[in-house]
Amino acid sequence: MKFHWFHLMPYPYLPEDFKEKYKSVWVDPPAAELYDPVKGHQVYNDYLDQLEFAEQMGFDGICVNEHHQNGYGLMPSPNLMAAALARRTSKAKLVVLGNSVALYDPPTRVAEEMAMLDVMSGGRLVAGFPVGTAMDTAYCYGANPATLREKYREGVELILRAWKERRPFSFNGKYTQLRYVNPWPTPIQNPHPPIWIPGGSSIETWEWVIKNDFLFAYLTYFGYMAGTTVIDHFWETVDRLGADFNPNRAAFLQFVGVADTDAEAERLYSEPAQYFYNRCFHLDPAFVAPPGYSSIASMRKGVQSTVRESAQKVQGKHLSWKDIIDSGCVVAGSPQTVIDRLNDMADRMKVGHVMLLLHFGNMSHETTLYNTQRFAQDVMPKLRHRFSEYEDRWWPKDTLPQLQRPAPIGVAAE
Amino acid sequence: MFESETLKLSGGRKVQVYRAGKGPAVVWLHGPHGIRKNDPVIAALAERYAVIAPVSPGFNDIEEIDDIRDVHDLALHYDDIFEALGLDGITLVGHSYGGMIAAELAAHVPKRVKRLVLISPFGLWRDDHPVADLFARPYMTIDTILWKDGKPSGPMADPANFPNDPMEKAVGIVQGMTTVAKYIWPIPDKGLRRRLHRVSADTLVIFGEKDAFVPALYAEEFSKAIRGARNVVVPDAAHMVPYEKTDEVMRLIAQQLDGTTRAA
Repeated sequence: MKFHWFHLMPYPYLPEDFKEKYKSVWVDPPAAELYDPVKGHQVYNDYLDQLEFAEQMGFDGICVNEHHQNGYGLMPSPNLMAAALARRTSKAKLVVLGNSVALYDPPTRVAEEMAMLDVMSGGRLVAGFPVGTAMDTAYCYGANPATLREKYREGVELILRAWKERRPFSFNGKYTQLRYVNPWPTPIQNPHPPIWIPGGSSIETWEWVIKNDFLFAYLTYFGYMAGTTVIDHFWETVDRLGADFNPNRAAFLQFVGVADTDAEAERLYSEPAQYFYNRCFHLDPAFVAPPGYSSIASMRKGVQSTVRESAQKVQGKHLSWKDIIDSGCVVAGSPQTVIDRLNDMADRMKVGHVMLLLHFGNMSHETTLYNTQRFAQDVMPKLRHRFSEYEDRWWPKDTLPQLQRPAPIGVAAE
Repeated sequence: MFESETLKLSGGRKVQVYRAGKGPAVVWLHGPHGIRKNDPVIAALAERYAVIAPVSPGFNDIEEIDDIRDVHDLALHYDDIFEALGLDGITLVGHSYGGMIAAELAAHVPKRVKRLVLISPFGLWRDDHPVADLFARPYMTIDTILWKDGKPSGPMADPANFPNDPMEKAVGIVQGMTTVAKYIWPIPDKGLRRRLHRVSADTLVIFGEKDAFVPALYAEEFSKAIRGARNVVVPDAAHMVPYEKTDEVMRLIAQQLDGTTRAA
């Protein structure tokens, strides 16, 4: 099992009456009113420190993602964050779970920036291509929901071709026309970094992921107990398409809090968890399902977008710590409690990549470092062996073990 | 119940066309609800005219709009329909989404359209009076913004208009909404203002005074941009004005069309 430290980068200073006063955390919460960039300066730097600390603690990957106009996701450009991390880390893989390909014209911009990250980091990039949520794409970036998925697929196809072809080529697509496709630089990983597709529960997406041998990253904020059904359907699809079963085909996101005892975990993590579920995750149903965003086929099969489903779960409710723990949204407690539950997760889901949210809501910097350290020292070693018998084709090989990363040059001594 | 035929266009596409009534021919282009089995506006028009009502691509099957990429393709699709029907110099009445298509067709192929009635059309934009975001609400609830009382009334509220299966009902609504979204996302201004000077039809613009989706001041935006056009704002009605004030709208249409239809 591999462990990845995932940051959402929430804004930790939303007012207490946010849910009553504002209709959504996403799309239209007024930035000038709610966001203080001076506080934001500290927030970004703390968050980057936390990701760097995760490398020191031995996490396999550090993850950034992409959201727009969002009070719980301050990373409109995950590539900027990954670039900062590329310079300050040397071992952890950089799992970049943006870029929402359909938002970039031309999509070769994504091929260029991701190749830059791969070269800068010495071949440590995992390239994530989400469709993007309805809020990010249709509402914040004006992407047409009726054509979003087709444009996205075409963009991914163009990026992969740009990385694989040996000669410049022309691309006459429905959404992108380029006379000369020849991006510089090319990635170190040959022909390209592993491709992860973060997404929810779209049948067409799973089939496409499996046929292309990409990894499926299921990102839900509602924990492994709620997420098992979706993962089960994914494994069924793997089986139906005749692909080999391999836990490393899939990744799952889980909130975790580790402390000496279960009671101590409640003391440390209850407030940040409630901040996340009751303040950050306040979505206006107006923005979750524009017509065309989900296919008619998915609709007929009763499949909803993850965000839509999530919004329905929390809408108009206040989740207590007990609700959050009992439903498995957050796995928290003593090391043994956490180990037991994550073993249970591994048994149920058979997922080889676990993305951990060890910072959530308005958790303090100190508590975040503490949680990270406790997880790395007391939990990770006990779960490492899970699924070790399977090859991982969805993870960067250490392409350049000989590569010596130059240390940052200090100010010259007087 | 209206007669229905399937028309094959020169490019190979198929179109469902409803027909009802006798008299001078009037083409009806439907709004975001499509054509319901007992559509009261088509029934009212049919008392006086031979109504020809094509179903927008996408409403019956979303894949039909795969290769109709923008409003230009859409306007030419409708021109293909009238070519296949052998109709020229037509009388065209469009409501809402159908009003936008009618305006686009009359601007793209002015000679095709002789008389034009635009009822609550969209396609223009003013920053100081924005058209509301029809899609910033769950799509099953769009009626709240379209009807004066926030919900459909009369035959449009009749469950007999919908498939019994709630999933098929939802699919029908989503296909229509996805189609409308495709041609107006994210702002319903795709350059129509630059083209309206081309319209040569005798034009009447009708709005409901209480339209919460496209404010009634757009009546003047449209009539100013089209040579010789008149506009009428109907009190106590909203975006669904032809359904909310059917008699009055029929009277306005008759006034607009009759003098000239008799002559034609």
